[in-house]
Amino acid sequence: TMDKFRMIFQFLQSNQESFMNGICGIMALASAQMYSAFDFNCPCLPGYNAAYSMGILLAPPLVLFLLGLVMNNNVSMLAEEWKRPPGHRAKDPAVLRYMFCSMAQRALIAPVVWVAVTLLDGKCFLCAFCTAVPVTALGNGSLVPGLPASELARLLARLPCPEIYDGDWLLAREVAVRYLRCISQALGWSFVLLTTLLAFVVRSVRPCFTQAAFLKSKYWSHYIDIERRLFDETCTEHAKAFAKVCIQQFFEAMNNDLELGHAHGAMAMAPASKAAPMPPDGGEEEREKLRGITDQGAMNRLLTSWHKCKPPLRLGREEPLLMGNGWAGGGPQPLRKEVATYFSKV
Amino acid sequence: MDKFRMLFQHFQSSSESVMNGICLLLAAVTVKLYSSFDFNCPCLARYNALYGLGLLLTPPLALFLCGLLANRQSVVMVEEWHRPSGHRRKDPGIIRYMCSSVLQRALAAPLVWILLALLDGKCFVCAFSSSVDPEKFLDFANMTPSQVQLFLAKVPCKEDELVRDSPARKAVSRYLRCLSQAIGWSVTLLLIIVAFLARCLRPFFDQTVFLQRRYWSNYVDLEQKLFDETCCEHARDFAHRCVLHFFASMQNELQVRGLRRHPAGRSPEPCAVPEPPEDLDSGSGKAHLRAISSREQVDRLLSTWYSSKPPLDLAASLGLWGGGLSHRAPTLALGTRLSQHTDV
Repeated sequence: TMDKFRMIFQFLQSNQESFMNGICGIMALASAQMYSAFDFNCPCLPGYNAAYSMGILLAPPLVLFLLGLVMNNNVSMLAEEWKRPPGHRAKDPAVLRYMFCSMAQRALIAPVVWVAVTLLDGKCFLCAFCTAVPVTALGNGSLVPGLPASELARLLARLPCPEIYDGDWLLAREVAVRYLRCISQALGWSFVLLTTLLAFVVRSVRPCFTQAAFLKSKYWSHYIDIERRLFDETCTEHAKAFAKVCIQQFFEAMNNDLELGHAHGAMAMAPASKAAPMPPDGGEEEREKLRGITDQGAMNRLLTSWHKCKPPLRLGREEPLLMGNGWAGGGPQPLRKEVATYFSKV
Repeated sequence: MDKFRMLFQHFQSSSESVMNGICLLLAAVTVKLYSSFDFNCPCLARYNALYGLGLLLTPPLALFLCGLLANRQSVVMVEEWHRPSGHRRKDPGIIRYMCSSVLQRALAAPLVWILLALLDGKCFVCAFSSSVDPEKFLDFANMTPSQVQLFLAKVPCKEDELVRDSPARKAVSRYLRCLSQAIGWSVTLLLIIVAFLARCLRPFFDQTVFLQRRYWSNYVDLEQKLFDETCCEHARDFAHRCVLHFFASMQNELQVRGLRRHPAGRSPEPCAVPEPPEDLDSGSGKAHLRAISSREQVDRLLSTWYSSKPPLDLAASLGLWGGGLSHRAPTLALGTRLSQHTDV
């Protein structure tokens, strides 16, 4: 079965979006499971009922929403893209909007599931509105005027707790519970219907309006994500190469020092070979990987300018230098014959 | 393990099988949802009918919308409907086909819910207990009309004190449940007969047109998916080259500023962009990027994809915009041309 899990995992990871959909589904299931595992405990006191129920109805969805955002690595990407200075690459607000919308949509699913399950179950609603039950319609309405309001409230507040309810002479508990649960379930289903309707409208109506712009935003948001990951990978590769060369040089230096130290001894060697020994072939490869950045200052400068001044989205041989500072571009870009060629790997 | 993989691949092979899979999944979810839902009839005069009918009809509506949402092809269909014609004619028959196939699959889960509710009977009993004709049952002979109404309203609630252990309640309840199950089974039978007839009689009407429409609707779906994948690969190559260019330009700047000597002692070249490393230009890297290597070009490519899809004619040379979708039956010639270009 491990293979099965691995395959499912690979399938979900193949595409960033389907991975996020998978996380989304897992969180929705977790939300439903959390609700069923949670032990609802209505206080059955006049002032506290409403506060407790509203808390249970609203606080966990907020937590789930934030959790959904946190688990999405695109959040930091969005923040980074928003705050970076334009540099050579203009910022596109449409891309930012797209990224935010797609994250928010996915993060909203778990809270919606929580609210729907809470309403459909009915305990929360019962706890919150038990003091608002229409006693005249459901129970012995004739007895109501004789009761002071606070006494009535105290009696009704105990409806959710069967073991301490003492108002059967006024209002049968089952009747009131059924009534409130029925309303709660009706609200729950209406909420579910409303959210699915909204989602359906958004999804179906969007292609009618902004399809071309949508394709662009989708492409560039994927691009930003991939570019960031590739940059991190390249930096890691660089760091590894840096470390290897650094250590090699250190050992060589130690070796040289030792040889110098033993200049009088048996290990004295001819001056010609005192020159730095040729690094083995692996060392040459490592130096290549360094791509010319070989000291801390240079690396820091590279990382700073990656943030402050991202390169423009334009690849090509006749490119002027990508860094500014007086190396303003050469002549005008030669007009390329713009032929969009279609490649498909069918 | 291999069986699992084969099953997975089979489901992914055609968009129709994916849709069928989703449809079945949604039906299973419906069954689970129904069985875990806690039915709670209010047993009050006016609320019963509202609750019962609401529960019979609202969840199916929500499930129908979910079925439309979960189906990728509904979005593809709307996109196909609204795109500008460009070089590729639009065929309303294909859009109708996609619409009908999406609707059929989306209707499965709601029907499952309705049938379950009818066969189970609770919804029906709750909704129609107040509308039962008391004349049918002898037990109500010596009760006033208002008492009868009150009694009938409480029939769905077995535990209520008014109706507990009352034979009249059981009689009414049994009557309604029997009616509900009869309706449920009739609806099931009707649906199955309709489906059977539709399937058997279809070949009698327009079989060739049907085959064409099915092919092209599958094609549109696959094309969109492949376009998305190709865009992703392109973005990856673009990003790769961009990052490497960045590192190379940094190196160049450092050389120019004289901050370091090139290890081989070459004099710095201020104006030349250093060649990107060789591996960038190896086969696959270049193949994806060839002409599309700047933001404007990518944007232009994506706009053109939307506003003016290429004609469905692979034999036409590049840059030549031929005719659009034609209604020729899939001839052998087209088939052989296709086989030259596809590499399944």
